[in-house]
Amino acid sequence: MRTRYILLLIAALALLPWLVGGRYVFHLATMITIMIPMALSMNLMLKIGQLSIAQPAFMGIGAYGSALLTIRLGFPPALAMLSGALIAGALAALVGPLFLRIKGVYFVLLTYAFGEIINLVFQEWTSLFGGNNGLYGIPKFSVPGLRLTQPQHYFVFGLLLSALVYWCMRRVERSDIGAIFQSLNEDEMLSRALGSNALSWRIGTFAASAFIAGLSGGLYAFYIGFLSPEAFGFMLSVDLIVINAIGGVGTVLGPVLGAIFIVPLPEILREAREYQLLIYGVCLVVFLIFFRQGLIAIVQRRKADA
Amino acid sequence: MAEQIIVNGLLASLIYVLMALGFTLIFGIMRIVNFAHGEFYMVGAMVVLFLFGALGWPFFAAVLAGGLVSGFLGVVVERALFRPLVGDELAGMIMSLAVGVILQSVALLLFGPAEHSVPRPFTGTWSLMDASVPWDRSIVALCALAILAAFYVFLKYARLGLAMQAVAQDPDTATLMGIEPGVVYGSAFGLACLLAGLAGALMAPIYTAGPYMGELPMLKAFVVVILGGLGSLPGAVLGGLLIGLSESIVTTMINSTVALIVSFAIVLLVVVARPSGLMGRALR
Repeated sequence: MRTRYILLLIAALALLPWLVGGRYVFHLATMITIMIPMALSMNLMLKIGQLSIAQPAFMGIGAYGSALLTIRLGFPPALAMLSGALIAGALAALVGPLFLRIKGVYFVLLTYAFGEIINLVFQEWTSLFGGNNGLYGIPKFSVPGLRLTQPQHYFVFGLLLSALVYWCMRRVERSDIGAIFQSLNEDEMLSRALGSNALSWRIGTFAASAFIAGLSGGLYAFYIGFLSPEAFGFMLSVDLIVINAIGGVGTVLGPVLGAIFIVPLPEILREAREYQLLIYGVCLVVFLIFFRQGLIAIVQRRKADA
Repeated sequence: MAEQIIVNGLLASLIYVLMALGFTLIFGIMRIVNFAHGEFYMVGAMVVLFLFGALGWPFFAAVLAGGLVSGFLGVVVERALFRPLVGDELAGMIMSLAVGVILQSVALLLFGPAEHSVPRPFTGTWSLMDASVPWDRSIVALCALAILAAFYVFLKYARLGLAMQAVAQDPDTATLMGIEPGVVYGSAFGLACLLAGLAGALMAPIYTAGPYMGELPMLKAFVVVILGGLGSLPGAVLGGLLIGLSESIVTTMINSTVALIVSFAIVLLVVVARPSGLMGRALR
């Protein structure tokens, strides 16, 4: 019931850009809707108890994949976006059998190294990816009869994508699969003894999370129209971790709240531009020490008190 | 050619080892992956920039001050921010990200985003067989060796050093033997930051100093430590040498980006084949 109120609040917030108006507001809102699926993709891995820092790399594969497929091979954008995300998912499924045997801190380090390699390849393979000068000339997203040119178009697209990913993850969380995830996170030995094929579930989850990140990357590529490797670097991982930590990792709604709160933060702090990063860091410290369960816990507790 | 590659590799690896030892010490004792380690390196370099570059202190006094400031900062940060999270690996890791962001932004506020060059205290080169070795890098290497020797003696003979080893091996038994974990946590974190600060302070005149200078050494320390085995001190030394040499070879043959890719690929293979690294103990 309480979740429903929060969702209503978010839906109301989604109308805000039209009330405020302005290109920049829509840009910010669109970036939030690109970050929500990213944050959720990291959250999906956290559900099975593994922190993957490779999510920005998968986003980059989705972004470069859909851009190159449209530019070089003339794919229609929708097909290119789907293919880009599928490539990201397939790569995850390919390395998954090796990576997902590893747990805890070692998995974090592994995905970190993997993400860095992918990013360095984007930088180094200039003939294909354009290197640090970037990749230009990505056409706008279009399906027959509809061409998305304005930020508000992409905002609506992003909203739909975020809502879809959120809905899928909620469905999964409530289903038997959600119970399997929880059992993998809490007691893998017992879970396996009860007949769940732990490794397959982990690989499937990893591939799904890479696919989501790839979709988000495709949307980003068509929206921004220009790609550069640094957008998919370690700082993005930090942002995603912050969003998950501040929003709260325990629920699906947490990262959504986190993204809504964190992505516009640089703008709210615009007056104090040089203090932005500092405030960012201090916020994180405060949340880690005092509100370990994240924003979601605060919101829900307030609601309970009222 | 071959001599030059080896000399370059050895000079680079000594700094990697200084960074990696602290990084691995923190992990071995507190189970925290310290993403802020590069920022403590930066703090050391910034202190040298200020004291040696601006106020004209003698170079070695400034280096020592850089190490001490960084180490003191480490002790404070550990007590205030990391101690409450002991035992929670993920929260500790996120906290280190936050500490890194804060240190970086404070440096940004104090010194601005530009890279500053620090005057060189030593110039010229000397030749070793067919390789030419810059004097400033040789001095850095000598200092690094001296610091490593002191660190070794401390761990091997000092009571506190032995206590650190005991906690790293088995925290519960160490506590039963009357070792106060809090003291060990604080001093290990401080010592690790002292090492990083000294490394940064020594390297400040060789490269430029800026708020973002810690990112690359951090990356290298990361690679070295995973290769050698998280928490293993001999592993950090071996890993530092291997990575320093392999990078020197690939950088000479192709370029430094490919060298970095090769390093990460090595790490990937090591973690997949043997997660505990070359010298690490088996996973618990």
